[in-house]
Order: sequence, then C-alpha cells, then structure tokens
Amino acid sequence: MTVPNGHLLLLAAALFAVGVAGFLLRRNVIVVLMSIELMLNAANLSFLAGSRMHALSSPGGIPDPQGPVFAIFVIVVAAVEAAVGLALVIAMYRHKRSVSLDELGELKG
Amino acid sequence: MENLLFYVMAAGAVAGALGVVLARNPIASVLALLACFFCLATIYLVAGFQLLAAAQILVYAGAILVLFLFVIMLLNLGQAGPLPKVDREMFRRRRSTLSIAVAAALLLAAAIAVSGFREVTALAALPVHGLDTPAMLAATLFRRYALPFEAISLLLLATAVAVVVLAKRSRAPQAGSRDGDEA
Repeated sequence: MTVPNGHLLLLAAALFAVGVAGFLLRRNVIVVLMSIELMLNAANLSFLAGSRMHALSSPGGIPDPQGPVFAIFVIVVAAVEAAVGLALVIAMYRHKRSVSLDELGELKG
Repeated sequence: MENLLFYVMAAGAVAGALGVVLARNPIASVLALLACFFCLATIYLVAGFQLLAAAQILVYAGAILVLFLFVIMLLNLGQAGPLPKVDREMFRRRRSTLSIAVAAALLLAAAIAVSGFREVTALAALPVHGLDTPAMLAATLFRRYALPFEAISLLLLATAVAVVVLAKRSRAPQAGSRDGDEA
C-alpha cells in the first residue's frame, strides 16, 4: 500500500507553516531567506502530491506531467531568489555592518 | 516498509524545519535545512519522483545551501566572531505571538482541507520506473512549456548580472560611506 496523498499534503502544510513562522519571527535576514526556501519546498511537495494523485487515480498509473515540471520551475526560481537575496545581504552588510532586519527602517513612514 | 520510511522522513523534515527556525547560530540553521532537504529528497523517492529527488539533492543541498554557508562564512556570522547586533534578541518579540498564530491557523486550515479529501487509489503500487520519467518531463517541458523554459533561461542570465552588480565592491563611494558609518 502506498503512502496516501493526504499525508503528503499535510507534510507540505506543516513545512509551509514552519516556514511562515520563521519568516515572521526571525530577525536575521539569512534565516528569513532560509524560511522562504522552506516555503518553496512545501509548494514543491504539494505540486508533486497533485501529480501523484493523478497517477494513483488513473488505472494506467500515468501522472500529470505538469506537477514535476512546475516543481523544476520552482527549484530554478528558488535558486535565483537565493542568489539575489544573498547578494542583497552582502550589500546590506557592507552598509550597516549587520544582518539584522531591525537595522532596516529607512523606508518606514 | 515504504510507509514507515515516509513517516520517519516526514518527522525528520519537520524537525529539520523547526531547527532552521529555532537555531541560535545561522550555521546550525543551514545544517538543519540540509537535513530537512535530505529527508524531503527521500520522501520524493518514496512518492515515486526519482528525477526530482536527484534534483533536490543536486540543486538545493549541492548549490543553494553551499551558497548560504558561503555567505555566512564570508560575513563571519558564525559562532566564533563577535556577532554584530545579530540575534542578540533572536526573535522579534512583539510579533511572535501573532506570527505563531498565523502559522498555526494555516496548518489548521490545511488539516481541515485535507480531512475532507477523498483518497482515490486505483493503483496498488507505483510503477517501478517512477512517476517522473525524463522522457515525459522533457516532452512537457520542451513542448507545452517551451516559452516559460526560455523565459527561465533569460531570468538566470539576468540574475547572474544582477548578483555581480549587487555584490561588487564599488570603490570610491562605498569606502567613503563606510568610513562615515563607523565614525
């Protein structure tokens, strides 16, 4: 018996919730970026769960190819986001000598 | 057997994610994220996505996390050096209850949504060659999603340029402003 798809989706939801909590809670920019990576991974997992649902419910076991394809796109976008985000962190560290989000208040109204 | 592996790895992934959020040292956070991604890759394998599991290891664990580690060590944010105002108070106090409430509400909503979910399993076992065969992925990626694929290549090029511009040390104005900050 295979793993039920609902459990995959629940795991994705748990990872996403932890990612949201980290994103809102932490003040270290690098950890905030890592929380975003966690959320993107949760999205990936639910894409794959959707594709797998298609495979399990069809008699031939043919998955929906869009799930893995979108997961690949998400992986690429995550890589891009990490690269740009970390370059911004480096630029911020040069200016402020810190990676704490509390140091960034210039645009506050 | 397969199910047991899935549940163990799911627990590991959630524990790793919690470790990312709760670790005091950013390097510990990266290592927890690494554990989480390895568990996720195993889950992809169990779920039948072999190519995606390989991509997860190669791209996430191999490239993205190394980038994180590299930046942390470049900025000397590890334990040894003086932590400049980082994580003196680790959490943003005022927002913590609110954000935990948001996360819990998300999780609850997802649990409710999944509980109303009807499992359809016509298949006793997954096909041996996995669900994401390269042939199938290539056929979809290069036919139906050819345009997004090309757009992604443009995005990668733009990112490479942007990162060089952002992280480059521009000589004269940067040096002046930094002296001003320290004074």
